[in-house]
Amino acid sequence: MSTAVVLFALAAGCYLVAVCESWVVHGRLSLTRPAISALALLGREQILPRTPDRLFFETGPVLLLIAGLMSVAVIPLAPGLIITDLAIGALFLNAALAYVLVALIMAGWGPNGAYGMIGGWRFLGQFVAYAMLIVMPITAVAMRAESLSTVQIVLSQATLWNVFYQPIGFVLFVIAAMGVAWLAPIDLPTGGGDLAGGVEAEYTGARLGVLRLARLVIIVALSGATVTFYLGGWLGPWLPGWAWTALKTLAVAAAMLTLGRQLPRLREARYLAVSWKLGISLALANIFLVGVIALVVPI
Amino acid sequence: MSVATSLFLAFFGIAAVWFGIVVFRTHSMVRSAIALLFSQTAIGAMFLVMQAEFLGVLQIMMMATEMSVMAIFMVMFMMDPGGMGKMDMTHQKRLSLWAAGIGLVAALAVIWGAGWQGPVPEVPGADEQARMLGRELLGRSMFIFESAALMILTAMIAATMVAIAPREEENP
Amino acid sequence: MIPELVIALSIGAALFGVGLYGALSQTNLVMIIMGVELVLAAALVNMVAFWRYLHPDVTAAKMFVLIVMAVMAVEMAVGFGIAIARFRSRGSVEMEEARELKG
Repeated sequence: MSTAVVLFALAAGCYLVAVCESWVVHGRLSLTRPAISALALLGREQILPRTPDRLFFETGPVLLLIAGLMSVAVIPLAPGLIITDLAIGALFLNAALAYVLVALIMAGWGPNGAYGMIGGWRFLGQFVAYAMLIVMPITAVAMRAESLSTVQIVLSQATLWNVFYQPIGFVLFVIAAMGVAWLAPIDLPTGGGDLAGGVEAEYTGARLGVLRLARLVIIVALSGATVTFYLGGWLGPWLPGWAWTALKTLAVAAAMLTLGRQLPRLREARYLAVSWKLGISLALANIFLVGVIALVVPI
Repeated sequence: MSVATSLFLAFFGIAAVWFGIVVFRTHSMVRSAIALLFSQTAIGAMFLVMQAEFLGVLQIMMMATEMSVMAIFMVMFMMDPGGMGKMDMTHQKRLSLWAAGIGLVAALAVIWGAGWQGPVPEVPGADEQARMLGRELLGRSMFIFESAALMILTAMIAATMVAIAPREEENP
Repeated sequence: MIPELVIALSIGAALFGVGLYGALSQTNLVMIIMGVELVLAAALVNMVAFWRYLHPDVTAAKMFVLIVMAVMAVEMAVGFGIAIARFRSRGSVEMEEARELKG
């Protein structure tokens, strides 16, 4: 029962994020544009490359969708509305997001095309950059909650949200999350001008629809994760829990979609340099600070 | 003990062994790396079936990233990463088959010959396991944890030093 | 005779056999490392099976598994560093050509 509710909420969230993204890209708010382009994608001709690696070509987008769905499985919408409350939920989310990398490598290598392959391998460079930055802030959050379960992490923020308790971790987590979902300005795998569409270039028709749907699911999952770890999940006055979760998730997704587009595209070499030299030092300092504060201050 | 546990263990185990065999039978190098990745994922699933949740999720996460890095190293170093040439890159095949066979038979003889005595003790719940692992890691096994961290740091520095290209000296 | 334990240990033995075959029969350094990874994974399966079915209350067994996982990652990293250095000096990582120290 709660599985059906969460999946319905996920579908609604994906549609609203697609509307938001089309608003940002095209400049006009049009509530039916995602539905029309989904129907158009399903109806268009499927152009197959000449000598693809058939197994990887078919499996790449599907694995991306599965990775996104598994990472949604541990995000709580309200007390009791969660697909599975694992004792190690935060780590499971990270494990599911690791398969985004595998799926993009498959989708890049499969079609046997130059731009797609380069897009896939560039995502590996991006991955090496964001991998540490997404795990270390989760460590600091779990330190405060004294548990890895996502429900416990939300409940531990009843006195003070983590975004005020651990602001450095919040900034690093959002930057890493934008790397996972390859949002602008870190959108090398499907870089529009640089790589002629990159990983998405060789896919047409229904498979492109699956790839884009999977990316929307990952964006919603990452917004949900940010809300769970840092913005207090379902906690808030007046409105019921699930309404707060929905509002916060949409706000985070809209912020990630709009704010990044102001910057030029970030090459993975620069992203690597910034995240390994500056980011990891800040993440370790964050863990140390959170440890000291958690031992000294009783909130 | 239930039949379902045995069936899941057997299913994921046979999947792991099958993917492991595909690693060395296929001609495409990237397929070989991804097959090893799925073999390790099946092993992680076996850990989850055996109720070692933390270890299973950790195995699945680490191996996804490690094998993807291995895939790009294969594309860098191997002559034919796509496998279109169908080259045979093995040596001493009969010796290695005999060695592997003898190892497998010896291990199976010990497994099936030893008398494993039941009953199986109770397994603590997942929360309890995570808590106990945390206390063990930072309590009794703190020394092991610290020396493992030193080993990883040394290996990182050593691997980076070995892999950096030597800079050209410009003394006249 | 605990059936799940025997199944898990037999899978471990089979993985060990496949990994040993790969480590001995391949000429390329990267494939040899893949064989060694399979052997270590077989050891991990055995350790977790022994923990679960014989001594589930001993947490030190899980520490052992964590250390072996760390060793797997570290060995792969150093192995690839050596492979890069070899490739830079020779142009290939085929182990058949690595005969400078022989005899």
